[in-house]
Amino acid sequence: MTARSARASWIVIAVHELRGLWLSAKGLTVLFGYTILLSIMAFIAASEAQLNLLDARESVGIVVQMAIGLGTLAALVVSADAISGERERDTLEALLVTPVSRRALVIGKMVGASSMWLAGIVVAVPYVVAMANGPGVAADALFVLVVAGSLVGASLTALGIAISAVAMSNRVSLAAGVGVLLVFAAPSQLPAVTAKGALGAVLVAANPVSAGLKLAGLVLIDQETLASQWTLLISPVVAAVVLTYLAIRLSSRVRLGGAR
Amino acid sequence: MNMNGSAVLCEGLSVTYGDVTAVDRVTFDVQPGEVFGLLGPNGAGKTSVVRALTTVLDPSAGRAEVAGIPLDNPNGLRALIGVLPESNGYPGSETALGYLRFYGQLFGIPATESADRAESLLWQFGLGANAHQSISTFSRGMRQRLGIARSLMNEPQVLFLDEPTLGLDPAGREDVLSHLTSAVAANGTGVVLCSHLLDDVERVCDRVAILDQGRIVAAGTVGNVIEAAGIGGTMRISVVPEAAGRALESLLNLPQVARAESNSSRLGEIDIDLVEPEPHANQILSLLLGAKIEIRGVQLEGARLSDAFLKLTQREGER
Repeated sequence: MTARSARASWIVIAVHELRGLWLSAKGLTVLFGYTILLSIMAFIAASEAQLNLLDARESVGIVVQMAIGLGTLAALVVSADAISGERERDTLEALLVTPVSRRALVIGKMVGASSMWLAGIVVAVPYVVAMANGPGVAADALFVLVVAGSLVGASLTALGIAISAVAMSNRVSLAAGVGVLLVFAAPSQLPAVTAKGALGAVLVAANPVSAGLKLAGLVLIDQETLASQWTLLISPVVAAVVLTYLAIRLSSRVRLGGAR
Repeated sequence: MNMNGSAVLCEGLSVTYGDVTAVDRVTFDVQPGEVFGLLGPNGAGKTSVVRALTTVLDPSAGRAEVAGIPLDNPNGLRALIGVLPESNGYPGSETALGYLRFYGQLFGIPATESADRAESLLWQFGLGANAHQSISTFSRGMRQRLGIARSLMNEPQVLFLDEPTLGLDPAGREDVLSHLTSAVAANGTGVVLCSHLLDDVERVCDRVAILDQGRIVAAGTVGNVIEAAGIGGTMRISVVPEAAGRALESLLNLPQVARAESNSSRLGEIDIDLVEPEPHANQILSLLLGAKIEIRGVQLEGARLSDAFLKLTQREGER
């Protein structure tokens, strides 16, 4: 075996995943749906800005929040299919009988699925730049989109992979992933009074999704500085690290029949 | 290979699913270059044995070595084996060449070398012209051949094939088996072949083991297994039609004859099931000749593996 000149197995898996995602209809279909929804929201926000119902910062803020929300959902959908999809299509056993470790399999799959969120950023950048009415707003918006969005995207990708590693079927995996995302999104539905209270602030800050969205709102709509609101990045960072670790730990549970 | 040179050494292997024992203290060995058939009805435990030996399932008891590597070194073991699983799916959107190249890379083969090896195997398995075609356009037989080609990408020391000819027409089966035997013979690979198709097994396997309800009920060469099942052969005798009744009467009185019937569509022909094969056939012929019955023809056929399989695996109520 010429192992020295061979690629690390997780890289082989990641490259294969990227090809599978972007050279087949799957990734492009999800990205198309994401783009359509983002376009509709951008159109509405831009129209309201033209009618002076929103100022430019607010419209950019809404688009960034939508891009983060929809992009992480798309990443979750793709990652939830990564291992349970192989299981359902009867292609998992052939992978499990290769010398690739379960950990390398999960890391490779995670890297491949992360490309969904990266594609989401690439699609959102022109909308943000076009709607920002100055370089300062565009820079803030891009920072929030790339940094906060990527942390939230990485968290949900890792979550999707972790669920997919143990779920029996794609449907279970997807339903569990979306269910957790809805729980994460719940603080944004808190009544205004509760949200502004101490408990509401803690709930929002502790939840990586709502913290990311809140940061976008505060910086882009309420014109707070990034330096004053950096604490809102703590929970996305913690979630990205913890959920990635969890997904890798759960790689030992990748079995033919799920975690039965 | 292990200390005694076996490709597979399996001792007292058991697999349980909760309270259900799927494989119960199974012991067998496979030598390099040998094709070993693992037979049994549905649910007998064949696939569980293969999955335990390929480290997909953890056995609950027993020990095993494959290519000299114990089961507790799964990555090392898997580097030396090729597997065609029973329910093997294929990514329809990939090309045959891309699919094999990917698997080669998973075995640590660099991309260029992997592509070369993939192309060579595709030609060897009659798929060279379809190398750049997407797998979704392949027939079942083509997919099976692709699966076997994939299992040979790492030039394995031991090959596990779970129902490789299932669902194929006779020509497809013939095709897969001939490709398989020629590929294996060249490298001295030990093969564990699970199949329901006993004609295939009889043709290609050096030794077999019959599993029933998780246990091995017979093992050895096909001849050994038939003998262990205590099944005789069959015989067809043609006599002059006028003597058929007399011949039948004499035959039915013989303890060596399990069953004798006149063939209703061919006058003078008698079908006989023997308790044991050849020695009894000689006695029967001597008896008929001694009774001055003119014999026009004799056809003798030994017992088949399928007869032994049915006898060894049928429950009391099913017989």
